[in-house]
Amino acid sequence: MQLDDLSPDLLNATIRRALRHGGDFAEVFVEDRRSLGLSLEDRRVERAVGGREAGFGVRLTSGDRTYYSYSDDLAEADLQGAADAVSAALRGAAGSVAVTNLGALRPARATAAIAVRPDTVATDVKAALLRAADDAARAADPAVTQVSAGYLESRQRLLVANSLGALVADDRTRLRFTVSAVARRDGVIQTGYESLGKSLGFEIVDEQIAQAMARAAAHKAVTMLDSRPAPTGPMSVVMGNGFGGTLFHEACGHGLEADGIAKGSSIYEGKIGDVVAAAMVNAYDDGTIAGEWGSAAVDDEGAPTQKTVVIEDGRLRGFLYDGLRAREQGVAQTGNGRRQSFRHVPIPRMTTTCIAPGDATADDIVAATERGFYAKTLAGGQVEPASGNFVFGVAEGYLIEHGRITAPLRGATLVGNGIDVLKSIDMIASDFEVKSGICGKDGQSVPVGTGQATLRIATMTVGGTG
Amino acid sequence: MIDAVDRLLERALARGAKAAEVYAEQSSTHRVKVFRGAVEELTAARRKGVGLRVFQDGSVGYAYTSDLSDASLDDVVATALANARVADHDPDSVLPAPRDKPAAVDVFDPGLEQATDEQRIELALAVEAAALAADPRVKSVDESVYADGDAQVFVANSGGVRGSFREGHCYAYAYVLGEQDGQIETGLSFTVARKPADLDPQACGAEAAKRAVELLGATKSKTVKTTVVLDPFVSASFFGVLSSALTAEAVQKGRSLFAGRVGEQIAGPGVTLTDDGIHPDGMASAPFDGEGVPCRRTPLIADGVLQGFLYNVRSGHRDGRDSTGNGARGSYQTMPGVGPTNLVLSGPQVPIADLIGGIEYGVLVTNAIGIHSGANPVSGEFSVGISGLLIEAGRVTRPVHEVTMAGGIVSMLRSIVALGDDARWVPSGSILTPSVAIEGVSIGGV
Repeated sequence: MQLDDLSPDLLNATIRRALRHGGDFAEVFVEDRRSLGLSLEDRRVERAVGGREAGFGVRLTSGDRTYYSYSDDLAEADLQGAADAVSAALRGAAGSVAVTNLGALRPARATAAIAVRPDTVATDVKAALLRAADDAARAADPAVTQVSAGYLESRQRLLVANSLGALVADDRTRLRFTVSAVARRDGVIQTGYESLGKSLGFEIVDEQIAQAMARAAAHKAVTMLDSRPAPTGPMSVVMGNGFGGTLFHEACGHGLEADGIAKGSSIYEGKIGDVVAAAMVNAYDDGTIAGEWGSAAVDDEGAPTQKTVVIEDGRLRGFLYDGLRAREQGVAQTGNGRRQSFRHVPIPRMTTTCIAPGDATADDIVAATERGFYAKTLAGGQVEPASGNFVFGVAEGYLIEHGRITAPLRGATLVGNGIDVLKSIDMIASDFEVKSGICGKDGQSVPVGTGQATLRIATMTVGGTG
Repeated sequence: MIDAVDRLLERALARGAKAAEVYAEQSSTHRVKVFRGAVEELTAARRKGVGLRVFQDGSVGYAYTSDLSDASLDDVVATALANARVADHDPDSVLPAPRDKPAAVDVFDPGLEQATDEQRIELALAVEAAALAADPRVKSVDESVYADGDAQVFVANSGGVRGSFREGHCYAYAYVLGEQDGQIETGLSFTVARKPADLDPQACGAEAAKRAVELLGATKSKTVKTTVVLDPFVSASFFGVLSSALTAEAVQKGRSLFAGRVGEQIAGPGVTLTDDGIHPDGMASAPFDGEGVPCRRTPLIADGVLQGFLYNVRSGHRDGRDSTGNGARGSYQTMPGVGPTNLVLSGPQVPIADLIGGIEYGVLVTNAIGIHSGANPVSGEFSVGISGLLIEAGRVTRPVHEVTMAGGIVSMLRSIVALGDDARWVPSGSILTPSVAIEGVSIGGV
């Protein structure tokens, strides 16, 4: 059986079967995902991989307990088997809830129209983008010794039905293009990386864009060849726009996800209304931004996505909820119930998380900094939400001296504690930009975005070797 | 499943593939997460899928599916052949020859099949209870998890390789939050085995608790260049990053710091690193790798001297040598790459108390975060956030946190001055390593 063959009757019967020994919520999530990935390295398109994954998961919750069973066989017997497995796990529990019959199928509307469906474009054309990027990066500078480039498209169709009567379908197209350049001189090796990812079609990339990204990646790698070891110790840090948003994602965002709040493992628990950031900081998570990599019309529980204000004028205003935690807390879900695939249960996750722009310019901020560290591009980071301690790597960093950006610096990591760092933000520029990335949590990877303008943190710890 | 493997291989050849390889997997997994004495999440699952690699006049195409119907397999063949037309010519993409027997290593214990949901829940609860009982400062056990997997792996190719094996494992882990005066610190530990009866939930819970509470009261360290001792958990992360630079693929693509250095002293004297795909206790051991090549033991560093690199079939062909059985496969959805199996770090070992006793000022690093973003195996730069215990005048004195540790991977390797006698397996990456003392590492605090 295929996704389109699953009747509302069968889904409803599966939900009832899952709930027959008790429980207060049941859901069937069905997914069919096709992907194509091409990668170039060492001057060759080496990997051309296409495939399809289809399957379903049946979820049953009772209070704060979750039972889940999934399979990549879509036959009626498999759905029944999964329903039996979750209901058996709950056997002996207290009485069951009423099941609302499924409503009419509600197809979700994408946040933006797909102009060019990737599967209508010949694979050759996609491979040509990789070769164009390779040539452009190598032509950019003789120090470039290796280039890798990747193209990934996916189309994920999903169907969610639950015991509250929801029956929602979504059809998501995502496309991502990446270029990485390696530069080498006198035994020093450096890398530069550029990426572009949207919930859009093939219209977002062409050979000119691929070449421009390749030149930018090459430029980063070559610039870093002349870098000197980053200093060590506390100093003013200016975060670049776009990827700088990783700061908020790690320093704060993970701690606002409601699973950690419910378990008392977030430093933000019980702090609604408290000052958790400088008064100039306004932050939100927004799953509705048209065509963004982290956007979708509905989350992976079929709930509409939304813009959720989490920090207003420095005060904590809200958390990010999935259905389970929202029902537990008696609040509205915020469209943040996300999962990597049918093999995973939904958990509260960020979509595109942003610090709202301010009025300054990036130049003002640098000019106002006597000595500091300019983290232009971050390489990703990690946080322990319970302690709020976080770290992120700097891919491209510079020294700021007497209000001017001077020497490139290599090998730096920034460490800090969420609330401390948000409180010490003292300037925010207006050059707001959103960048795409992949976020991992509990063994699940989902596409996310970070939005931020250039901003300054009065002091935080830089870890280099200089 | 073996029937689907054979069908797919036949169809690929019938439709014009010059050579072809099928990799398939079928597994069942269970996972239990408990919180405050009750089940929080219980998952039971089945998973299966096939991947087809076709070789067309030196070009390779790949396609996969989780749907084993005839129509879907036909789709896979068509997609793989189409992808091969797009990929560039690659004279090194070849099939392995079927001349070697699979390694005699047993990676399945029938004891795994006997596990019931009740036992799985009990194990997870035992981990949590042990952690909570270990110290009054344990605030909660954020995650107490038991999980197991029982998988059958198949590889068959048109050159005559055709094999399968069954692999089983189970593990439990605890992620503990300790609290004191409003400060929270975290600690992780785990237990891994081939069957549930061999797991030690008490030790796992108690150790995770100890690792969290010993950090309570931590402050920032001063900024200094000093000796650090990486405990086995942190050492495993360090060597895990390093191992990606020890693959022939990284060398051939100009992404390895160790290119051209075979025979050179790259690590402190005595330091020996081996990739051991047939270690009886290694969870990454297997009869053969993702291309059907038998797993084996490959020396990487011996007494500080670089011995060689890890190869799959393709990178081996390029260097005119055999695969070392390191054709790594993430899943049926990916083409084989090159990656380590079990890594074993060994050498002359010093009792851990003596090792610390000999340090005037340093940090015993028990936790590192940001390894995946802060360690660059291409440039060799390494800068991560750490927490741990300060060593003063040969004694562990007080905890430190929000500190950075940075250095060059090569200079850190060369500055390894001693190994402890506390070697243990660390599962993320399957690495057997003792504590490692390294001189002259930059610590960033206040």
